[in-house]
Amino acid sequence: MSYTLKGRVESRLAAALPVLVLAFVLHRWWAIELVALMLAIGLALDLVYDRLLAYQPGWLALPLGLFELGLVYTAMRALDLMAPLRWALVLYGVAWLSGQVFAHALFPRFRLEYAEAGGELGRAGGVAAVAVVAAALAGVGAAYSVRPPTVHLHGTVQGPLVIRHAQTLVGGIVNGGIVIRADHVTLRDVTVHGGENGIDIEDSHHVMLENVHVVGSELDGIHVRRASVMIDGCTVSSPAGPWVQGIDISFSMDKEMSMVERCTIVGVREGIVTHMSMVDVEHNRVGETSLRGITMGEMSMGSIRDNDVLGAHGVGIICLDHSECSIEDNTIAGTKVDKTDPQRSGVAIQAHFFAKAQLEGNTVVASPGGIEALDNSTITHR
Amino acid sequence: MPSETVRCAIVGSGLAALATYATLRRGGVRPEEIAVYGTHEDPTEVWRTRAAAIRQQRMRSESDGHVAAAAFPGLAVREAARALTLAPLVASVANRYHPRVEDFLQHAESVRAESGWEQSFRRERIERITPVDDGFAVDGATFRHVLVATGHPGLAQPPEYNGAVHAYEPHDYASKVAVVGAGMAAATEWLNALAAGSEVVSIRRREPLRRALNVPREFFSKRGLATFHATSDERRAATLRELSTPSYPPGAAWDEPIAAAVADGRFSVAERASADAQVICATGFRKGWREDPLLRDLVETNDLATHGRWIELAPDSTVPALTDTMRTLSLAGVAAQWSFPAADTIAGAKYAAHGFLRHVCPTR
Repeated sequence: MSYTLKGRVESRLAAALPVLVLAFVLHRWWAIELVALMLAIGLALDLVYDRLLAYQPGWLALPLGLFELGLVYTAMRALDLMAPLRWALVLYGVAWLSGQVFAHALFPRFRLEYAEAGGELGRAGGVAAVAVVAAALAGVGAAYSVRPPTVHLHGTVQGPLVIRHAQTLVGGIVNGGIVIRADHVTLRDVTVHGGENGIDIEDSHHVMLENVHVVGSELDGIHVRRASVMIDGCTVSSPAGPWVQGIDISFSMDKEMSMVERCTIVGVREGIVTHMSMVDVEHNRVGETSLRGITMGEMSMGSIRDNDVLGAHGVGIICLDHSECSIEDNTIAGTKVDKTDPQRSGVAIQAHFFAKAQLEGNTVVASPGGIEALDNSTITHR
Repeated sequence: MPSETVRCAIVGSGLAALATYATLRRGGVRPEEIAVYGTHEDPTEVWRTRAAAIRQQRMRSESDGHVAAAAFPGLAVREAARALTLAPLVASVANRYHPRVEDFLQHAESVRAESGWEQSFRRERIERITPVDDGFAVDGATFRHVLVATGHPGLAQPPEYNGAVHAYEPHDYASKVAVVGAGMAAATEWLNALAAGSEVVSIRRREPLRRALNVPREFFSKRGLATFHATSDERRAATLRELSTPSYPPGAAWDEPIAAAVADGRFSVAERASADAQVICATGFRKGWREDPLLRDLVETNDLATHGRWIELAPDSTVPALTDTMRTLSLAGVAAQWSFPAADTIAGAKYAAHGFLRHVCPTR
């Protein structure tokens, strides 16, 4: 089809109607912001396409779609737009697909001369295009105006700090721990000293911890119950006792999937542990744990990928008790023998008690127990 | 005889007329508001006879090349649904889908059946269209809006081969065949005669052009047409002359049989046909408004603006001197090339139909 610039713009905007409706139905600000971002990038590219493409064959929609997806993803990361990747891909897919359906089927039926008019939609199409822009701008404006407040902490604050409303907390040092009891809470660049649990999250959705540091907690560094959390770039160290765990995410099976990535956890009893939860554990470094490096236990499901587990005492990574674990591309080195328990003889990866573990591409170094499956559990190598 | 409620007339009853009729019906115009004047009740008859004469199997047009009002669903979608395969759709997005003639004709027949064409058809050859107050007198009745789609004015026959069979007339192939011409019909005849076991001599004055479509794609939409419409009359006529140069599509389906025949000594090129060869004139149609008695009368009676063999038209295929807010005279088919270079294609017929509909139903 040979689009005019006006035709490209009108067609793109009017075809965005379904994804805009979906974004409003999702009732998440990031969804509306993402659609607005897609439209902004698309409209900017239309200026370029108009100069480069006098005629656009149908097959070109696929490579152009992938190119635009790359740009949208890059912009999303650069602008710190907090859209879950899977939903972002779904929204983009819906937008692309509806663009094709509208251009090839609906617009030609709606306007008989659609193709010969270079994609221009006439009066009704122009109104629809303006309506889409207005709705997207209104959505972004509303998202901006009602976004959670950002609180900047300076210096040291005596805790425990209890958060009961959506907000973004940035910077500072909190003594005595942080308790989160609200949805849509973000902690960024915060250091927590002491506390029973360093950061305690319960019954909360969409909690994000970015670049947080937990030092000297008494039970868990980060304690998550019946909640969904994304932890990106944390440290947990200097536990206050021998029973401290690094990150414990439990009883969250009915919540959205959680994620722990790019964390460094040292010297605790268990580095990262899950019970009855869906969690992805990726790109972490766990060292010198006294019980296990990473535990996915009690009917948990998820992946343990690209982690370094160094110097664990007894067991490096374990998939435990009816859990289903995908364990890929991890490095487990220097796992030490626990002489008090024959099942903890420096095992790098262990499946235990009806657990199912799928392994691929792991590197095991100086871990005398190697890889083993116990008590009706299975290990499958891909 | 048409009643006073009739407001549109289509003069001509071929594919362009059917495309216009379907468009008007889609636009909400009722069958009793339209009169179709022609000599063939079946709008595919003339075209089908010519396609059968050259044994054409596939259309040169693509999925959108059908006479229904809306482009979607096109013929590729219909074939995919019928055969339960994605192959036609994949071919279509790669611009490699050309519907079978049989499918095109079946679809045209279904469009005719669903449109109410029979209610509007009047078997009548119209020899004069006379402008009157607020309309045009046609066959004793007055119509506010008239579209003329009389098609090609006749087959072109080079004088030196007068009496030879034309490619678009029914014929068989002798053992030696001389095909005059270098366009799509000529190329089709080369392959037909070779397939029939004949030796083929191509009689041509120039090397054939290879173009996927009759006209480059940009001339099918506003993007290219805006430039075409803005250019001077001289330049526009030059463009049309250039575009009327005979051509046929590139591709192995054309090249390989000819290459094999050349290797076997069964295909050659010459300037004149030898006496022992059966001559087939694949030389297309007579060109220009002077060749069509109805158009010639319109031009001469109303002193319409012309440029060479073309009647000068507005961008929407209407005749400016005879079109205003109260009445419309449109041309469709080859006579409308001044507004749409590919006017003699299905896309061209629809282009004229869309312009006509905008005048008939100006609030659309």
